Parts: sequence; C-alpha cells; structure tokens
Amino acid sequence: MRRSRWHGLWLGLTPALFIAGMAVLPMLRLMWFGASEPSPLGTESGGFLSGWLAIWSDSYLRERIVWSLTQAGVSTVLAVLLGVPVAWVMARLEFWGRQWLMQTLMLPFVVPTLVAAMGVLAWWGPRGLVGQFFEWDDRGSAWLLIAGNLFFNLCLIVRAAVAGFESQSAARLAVARTLGATPWRAFWRVELPHATPAILSAMSLVFLYCLGGFGLALLLGGQAYATAEVVIYTLVAHELELVLASQLALWMLLFTGVAVALYAWLQMRVRAPLRGDRVRRYRPNVKSLTTWLMLVGVWMVCLCIGLAPLVAIFTKAALASSVAWSEALSGETAAAIWNTTRFSATALVLATVLGVSHAIVGRRYWWWRMWGMLPLMISPVMVAFGLILLVPQWLDSWLILVCAYALLAMPLVVQPVAQALDSLPRAWGDAALSLGASPWRVWWRVTMPLIAPAIRRGVAFAMATMVGEFAMTLFLSRPEWTTLTTLIYQHLGRAGRLNIDSAWVLSAILLSVTLVLFWLLDGRRWHAVGTPEFDDRSPHA
Amino acid sequence: MLECQHLTKTFQGVTLLDNVNWQWPATGRFATSAVGGERPGVQVVALLGASGAGKTSLLRLIAGLDHASAGCVRWDGQDLSKVPPERRGFALMFQDFALFPHLNVQDNVAFGLREQGQSRAAARATASQALARMGLGDFTQRAVTALSGGEQQRVALARALVTQPRLFLLDEPFSSLDTDLRTQLRSGFLNDLQANWDGTASGISRVLLVTHDEAEAREMASHAWRLSAGALVSLW
Repeated sequence: MRRSRWHGLWLGLTPALFIAGMAVLPMLRLMWFGASEPSPLGTESGGFLSGWLAIWSDSYLRERIVWSLTQAGVSTVLAVLLGVPVAWVMARLEFWGRQWLMQTLMLPFVVPTLVAAMGVLAWWGPRGLVGQFFEWDDRGSAWLLIAGNLFFNLCLIVRAAVAGFESQSAARLAVARTLGATPWRAFWRVELPHATPAILSAMSLVFLYCLGGFGLALLLGGQAYATAEVVIYTLVAHELELVLASQLALWMLLFTGVAVALYAWLQMRVRAPLRGDRVRRYRPNVKSLTTWLMLVGVWMVCLCIGLAPLVAIFTKAALASSVAWSEALSGETAAAIWNTTRFSATALVLATVLGVSHAIVGRRYWWWRMWGMLPLMISPVMVAFGLILLVPQWLDSWLILVCAYALLAMPLVVQPVAQALDSLPRAWGDAALSLGASPWRVWWRVTMPLIAPAIRRGVAFAMATMVGEFAMTLFLSRPEWTTLTTLIYQHLGRAGRLNIDSAWVLSAILLSVTLVLFWLLDGRRWHAVGTPEFDDRSPHA
Repeated sequence: MLECQHLTKTFQGVTLLDNVNWQWPATGRFATSAVGGERPGVQVVALLGASGAGKTSLLRLIAGLDHASAGCVRWDGQDLSKVPPERRGFALMFQDFALFPHLNVQDNVAFGLREQGQSRAAARATASQALARMGLGDFTQRAVTALSGGEQQRVALARALVTQPRLFLLDEPFSSLDTDLRTQLRSGFLNDLQANWDGTASGISRVLLVTHDEAEAREMASHAWRLSAGALVSLW
C-alpha cells in the first residue's frame, strides 16, 4: 500500500515540478525583477516596489493599462449581450441547423490566434470583404480588436449560458408559469438567475482572456490601440527596456490574478448539470414573427461573428495571385512547416505524458489537479518574459520553446482525462480486482480503454494549440526556428501587396491543417455544448 | 368546473391520451381518508396510472404547459386552449416541490403575488403571514436548501395557497419520501389546506392528485380514475 502511494507521488511529482519550473519560477523571477529594480522613469525616490508604482506616473503606460482593462470589459459585456440571447434560443428551441450552429460556435476553440486575427481582418478589416465599406483606420481599430475578442470568446459565453439554461429544472419553470409568470417574466425571475453563476464565471474567463490576449491585440489593435501585453512585447523585443516591461507586467499579473480568483470563486458556485427533469426543447411556432426574428438573429450572430471571418480567409487566399501562392509555397514555408511539425510533435508527446500522469494523481488530490490547470491562467507573454529573465543562457536551445509549448498544452490534456477518470464508477475497478486482475491489469484492461477517448480529445486540443502558438514563439524563437505563425507575421511586416496575399495563403493553409488534424483526432466526438467536455482552453497566445 | 373534451395527445408517434372525455365530479364530497378523517373544505380527486401512462402529460395539458394534439380543457365551460398557464389559476406542486434555490423562503412564497402585481413589500408581508400560519414564521429568511423535506413541502404549499388557485395539481408530491414521512406529510398537507378554508363553497380547495400508488389515492381521494392505454377508467 505504502509502495503504491510512493509510486503515485513520483508519477505526479514530475509534471508538478515541470509546472513549477516552467511557470511558477519564471513568474516569481518576473515579480522580483519588477519589484526590486528602480524605475527607468526616474520619478520616484527609490526603494522596493517604487518602480512598480511609478508606472502610473507615465501617461502613455497609464493609458495602455486603462485601455487593456477597457477593451476587455467592453468585449465581455458585448459577448454577454449577444451570447445570452443566442444561448437561450439554442437551449430552448429545436430548429433546423441548430446542431450545425453549435458546432460552428466550437470552431474558435481550435483556430490559431493569428489565423483568427487574419480572419477578422479579412472580413471586417480596412480591406476586408465587409470592412472595406467602413472607413477604418489602417493603423488599427478599437472595434477590430473587439470583433476579434468576440470571435474567440462568444463561444465561451454561449456554451456556459446554454449549460446554465439546460440545467434549469423543468418543474421550477412550470411552477413559475402556473404562479402567474409570463414567459418573459419567468426568464428574468427564474431562468436567468439560475444561469447567472455559469454566465458570471464565463464572463470572468472572457475578461481574463481579453486582458491577457496578445496575438489579436498585436495584429488588430496596432500601436494606436496597443494593449499592455503588446507594450510589454515592444519594450522587451524592440526597446530592450526589460525593467519597465517587468514593472508593467507586474500590474497585469495583479489584474489577471484578481480575474483568476474571481473565476475560481464563481466556478465553485456553478450548479451541477441536471440528469433528469430538463426543460424539453420545443419546435418554434413558424407563424410567429418574434420566433423568426429570434432565429434570424441567432443565425446572423453565429455566422457573422463565428464563421464569416474563417470563410473570408479562404476567399482572400483564393483571390490571391499565383505569384503569391508560389511565394507562399517556397522553401521558407517548407522550413516553417518543418519547424512547426517538430516543435509541436515533440511538445505533444511531452504534454501528453505529463498531462495524463498529472490527471491520474489529481484524482486523489484536488489541489494537485488545480496546480495542473495553472498554466491556463497565466498569460503566455508573461511566461515567455519570465523565462527570458530566469534562464537567458538556455534561450539558444529549441528545447526551451518545446517545453513552453508543452506547458501551454498540458492542462488541455489534464482536464478531459481527469473528468473521464472522475466519471468512472469505482465498482468497475473493484469488479475487475475481484475477478483476479492486478491493479496494473485493471488500469490496462479497464481504465485505459475507457479514458482513451478523453486522451484523444485532450491531444487534439493540445495539438491545435501548439500548431497555432504565436506569443511564446515570437518571444522565444530565433530566426532559424520560424514557425508557420511567425512566418505569417513576418509577411505582414514586409511591404507590398504580394506579402499580404502570401499571408492570406499561409493563413488558409494553417487553418486547413489545424482543422483537418483536429478532425482526424477528434472529429467524430466533436460535440457541441451540453456534453461533458472541458471548460477551458489555452489563453490566446 | 374542470372538464376535458375529446382530449388527445400524441408524442413522437405514441398516443398518450386518446379522445379523453372527463369531468370533475359534481358531488362535493370532502376528502375522507385514513390519514386523519374527513376534512371539510378539501376535495381530492386522484389520477392513477403506471409509469409512462401519460398522467403527467394530462396534468401538463390541464396546467397549460403543453398543447393538446386535439380536443380541449375547459373550466366552467370556458375553453382554456388559448389561456396561457399564468392566467389559468391552477397551481402545480411537484415531487421535489420545485422551490427556487436563488430565492429565500419568504421570496419563494411571495413569487406568485409579485406576478399578480403586488409591490415587493406587500407581497413579502402576505408571504410572512402565510408562513406564520403554517408554523414557519421563523424561517422567512432561510435558504430553501436548508429546509427539511416537510418544511419544503409546507413552503411550496404556502407559495401556491397565497395565490388562491382554483385548482391544485399535484404531480406525485409524496413519492420520493420514506413511508413514515409520507404519511405524516399527507396528513399535514390536508390539514394545511383545510386550515386555509374560508368556509364558503367556492373556497373549497380542489386537488387533482397524480400518483402511481393506489394506497395513497385511497387514503386521500374521494374519487379516482385510472389512465390506461390513453383512456380514463373510473375506479371509485
């Protein structure tokens, strides 16, 4: 017995130490660096934390922090205003195309951040299919960034709200109606309060992702609407102002920490899904104008925000010249594909081994499992910056990049595997033991086959995350390690129409590769909202 | 009084109710039962049937929560097909009492009064009085999740009673309880209804009890029907 406990400890210790070394230590180094160094702004008298406080004396940095919080807040509110009505219709009405729309809303879970940003540009941007009719500023726009945030985060709100509405007891709703509540009043007084914890929890997650998002902000906001994350990158990569960057990063860590704490607190209040007594979805009355308006609204929101940007990428790529295609399919691209493949594949193996090990141990200790989810809550920019400060001598090895990838991907494996282990009835293992199977045979013959779909699902999401990783790659990679995402970014930074067209083509290729790989790994199990799947995904790298 | 005319309900190709014609018993006999004797002011009619026979479907049609495939439900001759559930004046009680977990005891009871247009303060005052009458005066600010099964039932009953419904619809409200508690709650339920009686013929609490337990129906109901193969058969 004691021996098996030690085995369990060793099994869990490796991933836990990995997270400590790759996420916690860099964060601590970043915090110490930012708190102890004097401010380059020179406005404070000195002392511990003085530089950190001095950030607010600089009007530009102050504006960037306020703007970061504002865009995250506005995006969150808009996501709720659009997402909750969509979720209610999805949860209550059975209409043509409902399942397909649900699956469409899941697309952003696997679309790389940079591709999403390119999609928003292709649809809403200054030269986009729809955006060309607006007079956008070429240097970036607040609304483009918010559109990008909505593309990524609307699905989180819809998913949480659908689950919240679906967990509503049919009996309570029926009682409310017989007590005199109209459908509208029953929505406000019974349905919405019931779903509120789930919606609030999703809101805090959306706020967190919008606040810590990097790729979208870099491409869509530009320097005019740079968020704090973009400013940190600029200070580190272009101005070599490491001290100022770390002090700004400290403030962002503080805000992120508050959002994480709020999310964790709210998550505990989300009600468990009901097993019976659900409100049955009904076929809408086709003669009702209100019904038609609701259905058209839902289709418009899902298509314009969720699907159109992706379709626009393929359209832009199709319209690109043959020269752009041949440019995009050059040796440079082949090298980028090779780098993407080797980094992702190596990290995938690492993340899967560490993630499954962590989930097995996390079955016994809940706090151990929470530790495994930590990388989801930390901005990749902060982790990358922390690594630069912590281990500058290791940055010439591509292993550090692979480890950083694995860190981001690991929680995506931990979550579904842990859920699958939780849902396994203890009696099955006990029955196998009583039939003469050793613990190892029980694991191999009973547990493993039952959790295999969850592992496959985790691997699929981890793969999608790594193939499209951008923020850490931009921070940590060297010119010879260019991946597909950084190559797209390089094309965008070069002058000329040809480069822009090449970026569209590469984006279309990356999107296709991600979707095909995901479908191959998890396609048949790609269920929409309401089925047991995981709540989080990697931050927008 | 309640009446079903040619009521038919099919769901996913299965006929749950097949041209049901039924009328609330005209005789004003009160509930006589083994759970405490006769109770003036309360008339209980039971609807029996096996699981899946369509009892709950019939109850939902009467409450206005579902639409009939054909036929209609009437009250005092008025066709209720176009009357939404919130305007029928029928109160529903479920097995788990369906108390709203986001509202405290007092606000649960005040819920229906607020929907009738009363101010928050007035609704709460009425709710407090109703709770006090049922011996729950000290429970007003409690979370409903902190109540025992018996207390929850009385809160659900108070919530329905304060709206002065024309008819109580009970969907197996005692089936999830253990035997002792079930007997105790049945008796308490009838007592509470009786205590609420204003002494007039129109103030009689009319209860349609849906149950699969014939013994329970015999204890509580003065009349009973069995729903079988989509048709209602009179038992007593």
